[in-house]
Amino acid sequence: MKKRLSGLLVAALAAFALPAVAHHSFAIYDMTQNIEFDGVVETLKMRNPHMAMTLTVTNADGTKKTINFVEGAPANMIVRMGLNPADVAAGKPIKAIGAPRKDDPNAYFLKAIILPDGRKYVSVGN
Amino acid sequence: MPKSASIAALAAALTALCGSDLAAQEAAAVAAAPQHPDFSGLYFPAGRQQDPQRPEYTPAAAAAAAEYEKAFTLDDDPGRYCQWPGMPRAVWGAPFTVEIQQRPQDLTIYWEGYGMYRKIYMADHSPPTPLLPSAMGHSIAHWEGDTLVVETTNLKPYPYMTRQATSSDAHVVERIHLEERDVEGQKTKFVVNELVLTDPRIYKTPIKITANLRHRPDLQLLEYTCTDTLWDDYLNQRGLTLPDVDAFPDPQG
Repeated sequence: MKKRLSGLLVAALAAFALPAVAHHSFAIYDMTQNIEFDGVVETLKMRNPHMAMTLTVTNADGTKKTINFVEGAPANMIVRMGLNPADVAAGKPIKAIGAPRKDDPNAYFLKAIILPDGRKYVSVGN
Repeated sequence: MPKSASIAALAAALTALCGSDLAAQEAAAVAAAPQHPDFSGLYFPAGRQQDPQRPEYTPAAAAAAAEYEKAFTLDDDPGRYCQWPGMPRAVWGAPFTVEIQQRPQDLTIYWEGYGMYRKIYMADHSPPTPLLPSAMGHSIAHWEGDTLVVETTNLKPYPYMTRQATSSDAHVVERIHLEERDVEGQKTKFVVNELVLTDPRIYKTPIKITANLRHRPDLQLLEYTCTDTLWDDYLNQRGLTLPDVDAFPDPQG
């Protein structure tokens, strides 16, 4: 099963533009960051052109916070990679890797999803 | 057996079978018709080449492009708002499934990305008259041997200067053929589209693009509803929440 779609996503973003120009840029995100969150899926929007998700994370002091992944891979692309939406349905524990928006550190681009059994689905990065 | 003899034999056999000269004549006519390549199937984009890489703008287009690049960022993306890339940009497409359905009178192409579709009408099958300019334009085709030659006009303007802009005068000629190539030791069908975009209001010279589609019968065409995000944003702005119909009690349960 192919679990990485980074190349595909980049191609998707560039496909309808001149070769050197991306479909839309990642400039609003700090894509150098790979922040990992262990949490439970709160909401999931498997949609195009970008999926979205919120994740409930429990802090060390027991308090909870919501991580808002406002954009990720196109839903069609990530299910074609083999991700079963049931595995990321509300209530499911996952690990998610995100890059924060530069102007809103509470909003993230969803770079990767890692399921409890280790299956990993990467939209950008490694 | 020569082709004419085999057709005559087929016609005779059909006459015997059908008991009707007319039915046999029609069947013979079908059998005698040129056999064209069949592009029907599921495909996935497989690369493109462009010449020139950086097309030279006309003075007016160059000025517009400079203004555009000052005012618009890459995030000001018409695709995010579900504007179809349309022709000719759709030809080289995003990495989503493409389905071609071919009939004697037309071809229909579905692009999963943006849920785009396009009709190509055969010139010898009474094509309709275009009614409105559109993102895909009006495409009329004829065969030159095994190559399908398609001319597209009636395109509505696509004024996104960093995204292969086109005006209402854009004219696209495609020469489409099938090729069999070796992929990982397996003979694989490709649709090869060699197109020329001419748009003298925007580009000083024609732009030649070759785009490939690889046959992928293992894929399926998924639904791609682009407007979900826009609708969600609208509901959020209005402060509206839709009922969770999946949380309703199941009367069977």
